[in-house]
Amino acid sequence: MAFTPKAQAFSAHINAVTLGTGDNSVVIGGENVLPFYTFDAPIENAPKIGIQISDLGLTQLNAPGFQELYAGCSTMAEMAKKAETVEGVSFLCLVFEGADPNGEDKSVDECVAQLKEVAAATTKPLCIMGCKNVEKDAALFAAMADAIAGKNALFLSAKEENYKQVGASVVMAQNHKMGAESAVDINLAKQLNVVIGQLGVDTQSVLMNIGTAAAGYGFEYVSSTLDRVKAAALAQNDTQLQMPIITPVSTETWNTKEAVVSEEDMPEWGSREERGIEMEITTAVACLAGGSDAVVMAHPKAIASVAKMINALM
Amino acid sequence: MHEVIFTFENGGEVRASVQDGLSLLEAARAANVAIDAPCSGNGSCGKCRVKLLKGEVSALPTAHLTAEELADGWRLACGCKVIGDITVMVPDIASAYQSRMKTADLSTGEEVAIFEKLMADVADAGIQFQNSFDCVQLTVDEPTLDDTMPDNERLARALAAQLGVETVDIPFSAMRRLAKVLREGNFTVWCAGRRVGGTFELLDVTAKETPMCAAAIDIGTTTVTAVLTDLKTGKILAKASSGNGQIRFGADVINRIIEQGKPGGRERLQKAIVDETLNPILQALCKSALLSPQRILRLCIAANTTMNHLFVGVDASPVRMEPYIPSFFRWEGLKARDLSLNANGAADVVLAPNIGSYVGGDITAGALASLLWNKEEFTLFIDLGTNGELVFGNSDFMMSCACSAGPAFEGGDISCGMRATDGAIEAVTIDKETMDPHFDIIGEPGQKPVGLCGSGIIDLISELFRCGILSPKGEFIREGKRVQRDEHGTGRYILAFEDESDTGREIALNEVDIDSFIHAKGAIFSAIDTMLRSLDMDVSVLEHVLVAGGIGSGINMKNAVNIGMFPDIPLDKFEYIGNSSLSGSYAMVLSEEAERKTYELAANMTYLELSTYPGYMDAFIAACFLPHTDSSLFPSVQQGV
Repeated sequence: MAFTPKAQAFSAHINAVTLGTGDNSVVIGGENVLPFYTFDAPIENAPKIGIQISDLGLTQLNAPGFQELYAGCSTMAEMAKKAETVEGVSFLCLVFEGADPNGEDKSVDECVAQLKEVAAATTKPLCIMGCKNVEKDAALFAAMADAIAGKNALFLSAKEENYKQVGASVVMAQNHKMGAESAVDINLAKQLNVVIGQLGVDTQSVLMNIGTAAAGYGFEYVSSTLDRVKAAALAQNDTQLQMPIITPVSTETWNTKEAVVSEEDMPEWGSREERGIEMEITTAVACLAGGSDAVVMAHPKAIASVAKMINALM
Repeated sequence: MHEVIFTFENGGEVRASVQDGLSLLEAARAANVAIDAPCSGNGSCGKCRVKLLKGEVSALPTAHLTAEELADGWRLACGCKVIGDITVMVPDIASAYQSRMKTADLSTGEEVAIFEKLMADVADAGIQFQNSFDCVQLTVDEPTLDDTMPDNERLARALAAQLGVETVDIPFSAMRRLAKVLREGNFTVWCAGRRVGGTFELLDVTAKETPMCAAAIDIGTTTVTAVLTDLKTGKILAKASSGNGQIRFGADVINRIIEQGKPGGRERLQKAIVDETLNPILQALCKSALLSPQRILRLCIAANTTMNHLFVGVDASPVRMEPYIPSFFRWEGLKARDLSLNANGAADVVLAPNIGSYVGGDITAGALASLLWNKEEFTLFIDLGTNGELVFGNSDFMMSCACSAGPAFEGGDISCGMRATDGAIEAVTIDKETMDPHFDIIGEPGQKPVGLCGSGIIDLISELFRCGILSPKGEFIREGKRVQRDEHGTGRYILAFEDESDTGREIALNEVDIDSFIHAKGAIFSAIDTMLRSLDMDVSVLEHVLVAGGIGSGINMKNAVNIGMFPDIPLDKFEYIGNSSLSGSYAMVLSEEAERKTYELAANMTYLELSTYPGYMDAFIAACFLPHTDSSLFPSVQQGV
């Protein structure tokens, strides 16, 4: 007798969250099966890739591949225009690392001006990342949410320390989307979602960043958390964990030893750029296989490889 | 050498000669001045504040005192070095723990009823309240110039003949007084002792008929409680309690173990519990019952493993070091004279057996008194203290575990926290609209509050959460005159403003305190959850939940469920059973069968070590939320936003 596989779609599903407006909008999440289990039920919205650009230009991301892509660009807006043409990219991820009070400490106004320029020059949905300083990010996100009102952007991320300010200014005031960032622990992720919900934020406007690590740098914790969040969301219908997951990848991988050590210091490791690309691909694929609905990447070659994998599996 | 004068709010003073450079806390300890130092002088708890009235000290900077308080002369005793002659005032709150010994009033019968009920219940469960002690009247021939047998042989022969035993042992303590007593009684005396096989072990001889007594003692890390009972009838003759004199060496067992490891530390801690705590209690009990301590013929001690070790003066260091193996679980054959206890020197000192480094005799005695072993239904027994200990099971099996809840239940680690003594707020309700509190204070009606004890904190957090003032993460989410923030943005809820409190400082619970408490309640709930899961069960199997411990007396079960400390099961399944360690000790001291039963229970109890149990940490993080990250575990709890 022929073997008939039993489709195992869940009755629960991940929330579908739309970023951007009009023809260029993208939908993240919405599936009711485990990652890439298209044989159980169709996955309507394939996992998405965002491309990372820094307000400081080519800082650490200065390998030849980046130089080539962004040749001739002098502003963030020019870089963004180039970036959105990269094959496989669904949205732009703007990192305002220059706002860090311990770094360049750019003013909120300066960052807002840069953002407005980018928004005017591009058509793809925007994801905005801050400088990881919780107070500065809260101020930055509030001003930016007003500046690009109506763009339906994603602000990544609110943490336990600043979710109230971010939730109120980004989602409740301007109807943008927010990311909820926790530190690789299913309970902490859920707790943050609960308090964000109690604030009055529509949880359909929330994505989760459950924390990340580069492959080989404690990724097993990320992997286990991803698995458990997806299992709770789908198998147990835990509505507090049904937000789609977005994982920043390139922000981690391009800081690892593999991507940083020069060829002079470590000739046997081969091309530094290739190493960086491979770290990015490996980590992104692992995140997607674990259940990320979107990843943030940087190198065009890495993006091309991962986009190819997604297409092949869909 | 410098002269340090300690003055007290009641006007008393103590003068001490102190070496240059010694810390003020050490100086106070040497002079027997009690200053509460839960962290044992690490500078981390900020409880040992004293006020400098005259002179100068060299003080370390501390975050526990504001610039204003420093200017007023407040210092932390542990962070000050004596560098000249000084006068310091020791405020009442710092020494309040020593809470003058209290002798319970037995006239109302409430205290007595607890023990009578226990005796009946234990007897119903098939344990005979009997022992081999006997007190007989004996008349011996008067010695004459012709009958020259010495007193001891005379007594022994007559007693052996009357009781039909082969030998009679007369201990040193009885021997010393024998000549006098025999003559006082005109050679008719009362002999108290116990039969062991063919031997009668004489313990005490009296000229008049006097009841034989026993002392049942619970040595808690914080409080010591004891009852004096009639060895034959089980009647409670007196009850007393006082703070554990070891407190000045640290609030929790870990700090005490560290302290006893220092040179001379074991002797200091043993002296603190025996000479300064137990002997005064025994003295007070005997005085209250109008009996001589010589009549205490048997004692039973129920205490946690560390307290047991420190009581007998055995090194407790292994208790806190992997693999956590204490020097003994069970120890028979101890006599009162070995420990210089204020009792008949030949009296047996029975120790309730330990079963692990963190599940001790207080739990085995408590398990006996809880009668969990006699119930068919699944029963959970919880002893809330600095360590939370749990026993789960029924007549077929028992499992136990311990979790470190920290001192929060007893008010430690909480800025306005205090133990449940006079002036402590023990119950709180909040008006949802105005956010104003209403509270009950322990002690004389009409007094101003001093601080907040464990049951008050449970009520307050539950009420703050119910009124939507507190988020499930323990952060303040409503604003008002009672919710204020310091310069770092840390919120606090003010229960009593400066002019409303007894100390002149506001009584407020801040977000850091709430966080500590959420960790403590998370430890308890996750231990319950993990232990049940390890047996592939969940809270729905629980038919009885028995809550014991000193903290519990004012505990509101509904509020404890609301904050996710206890499982969400019908409230009628919860029962507060008081000090079960003392009750168990009482049963053991009166009944040899109960003593044997406790050894049997200890031997049959499985010990689950949570720290090595996979999933415990996860369960703990999930429980550190109000009421719990998995709200489906608490269907009856709803936040009133």
